Amino acid sequence: MSSSSLTLPSPAPAAARRRRLLEILGALAIAGTYVYLVLNQPADITGGPGSVPALIALSGFLLGAVLLIVAVLPTLPASTVVLIPVALVLNIVLGQFVGSTLVPFYLDAIGTVLIAVLAGPAAGAATGALSSIVWSFFNPTVLPFAAGAALIGCLAGLAARYGLFRRFYLAPVAGFVTGIIGGVVSAPVAAFVFGGTSGVATGAIVSAFRSMGDSLLAAITKQALISDPMDKAIVFTAVAVLVYALPRRTRLQFPFVRRHRVLAGRAAEPEASVQETAAPNAPQVP
Amino acid sequence: MRVHPLTGLAVAGSTAVITTAAASLPLSLAVVAAALGVSGVTGTLRRLLPAAAAVLVPLAMSLLMVHGLAFPEGSTVLAAWGPARITSEGLAFAAERASLLSAVVLVLLAWSFTVSIPDLVAVLSSRGVRGRLGFVAASTLTLLPAIADRAVRIRQAQESRGLVVRRGLLHKVAAFRLQAVPLVLSLVDDAGTRAAALEARGFSSTGPRTNYRVVPDPAGQRLLRAVLVLAAAAAVAARLWPAGTGG
Repeated sequence: MSSSSLTLPSPAPAAARRRRLLEILGALAIAGTYVYLVLNQPADITGGPGSVPALIALSGFLLGAVLLIVAVLPTLPASTVVLIPVALVLNIVLGQFVGSTLVPFYLDAIGTVLIAVLAGPAAGAATGALSSIVWSFFNPTVLPFAAGAALIGCLAGLAARYGLFRRFYLAPVAGFVTGIIGGVVSAPVAAFVFGGTSGVATGAIVSAFRSMGDSLLAAITKQALISDPMDKAIVFTAVAVLVYALPRRTRLQFPFVRRHRVLAGRAAEPEASVQETAAPNAPQVP
Repeated sequence: MRVHPLTGLAVAGSTAVITTAAASLPLSLAVVAAALGVSGVTGTLRRLLPAAAAVLVPLAMSLLMVHGLAFPEGSTVLAAWGPARITSEGLAFAAERASLLSAVVLVLLAWSFTVSIPDLVAVLSSRGVRGRLGFVAASTLTLLPAIADRAVRIRQAQESRGLVVRRGLLHKVAAFRLQAVPLVLSLVDDAGTRAAALEARGFSSTGPRTNYRVVPDPAGQRLLRAVLVLAAAAAVAARLWPAGTGG
């Protein structure tokens, strides 16, 4: 499918440099906020109103997520941009379906991980952050988790880039590790912005750790380490099932999948050349 | 007077930021009342209340459970069973957090339930980041009911072919696969067609655009937005400043 204009000039290197700078600033904002919150463990969280750490967590993580979107969104080809709304809806629809019939997990990242596997880490990060922002239209409490969702999309894309989806048994392992990192990064948001968790079942686990004398951040981090890795392992496995069930023609229409041989199977040379003649200027997603 | 979508967002967003920065129980309760009042006047209360309850009830129950039952920092013990101790400090903290979060959620939901979606899309549909953001937001909001409908039809089709969800994890995984694969396949396929159609209409072009729908943006509302953004920034700075100097 044609993805970029054949007649208009490509963006200047200066614009590319500016975007790279925005990406780095966004990542630094998220990492810096996390490090500050964990090192300073604001003691007033349970002693007073505790709005200072909440404001720092909110502004730092949101700023990082917005910078990442501003940096990544204009560079994505149209074929990826049209997939983002589909991913957002899949997060919601499949999440609800699985939540109601399969297991007591919420699995609300299936769409994000699917895009990351098909279109790469940058697209995954943008999809994760956008998913939180658009979903907050109905549920404002997911907005502060935008940075965590972006991180999960980015890590899923990196796992696909380095071939962890080529072996079926490696996908849940990658999901498990992603869940550990994502859970640890999201815990300060839950602790400082919400002062707890958004579900009753997770709240019970936090309550148990708190009654053993843990600080709020420690209790929520431990709860996240119990729930999130399992949740993401299931999500990655579900995405692997979905991606391998897609027809070859559909899978290989994504330049990222062809270029980095994301999925197992015969090398994609013949298909790639057919695709290239169909779309001579399809840009390669990094 | 017609309110510009971004003015509404600025009012809701700055109220949410200022309420968070102030973190005072009376202000939170006042904002809750004001959001419900505005929603009642605009006639969206009936849709707002279930949506807000779906978010806030589990959140409030979780807060009550976490801080009501276990609050090691609390000293005034009201009741205790083994490791669980109910302290008045814990209950006060839970009430304060719950009212603050209710205020923020209600004020933002009041905006999203009153804003005119076509106006919002028209405002966002310029070029660059805003254009793409507008496309993603508008496309998601319109696709959501359509895809939910398609998921139901796929389930019905599979059931008419003999799909019965039996007990046991493997059966459920197989049932999930039978329904999810056709859904994802058709969506990815549709997206490819849509990408080609959008590209043919200049989706990625960086030239000037004209809008079919023009949303009036009076100077007064633009000024109001600037004032609100500054007020929110000032509230955050006022809260962070003593923290930065006083430790």
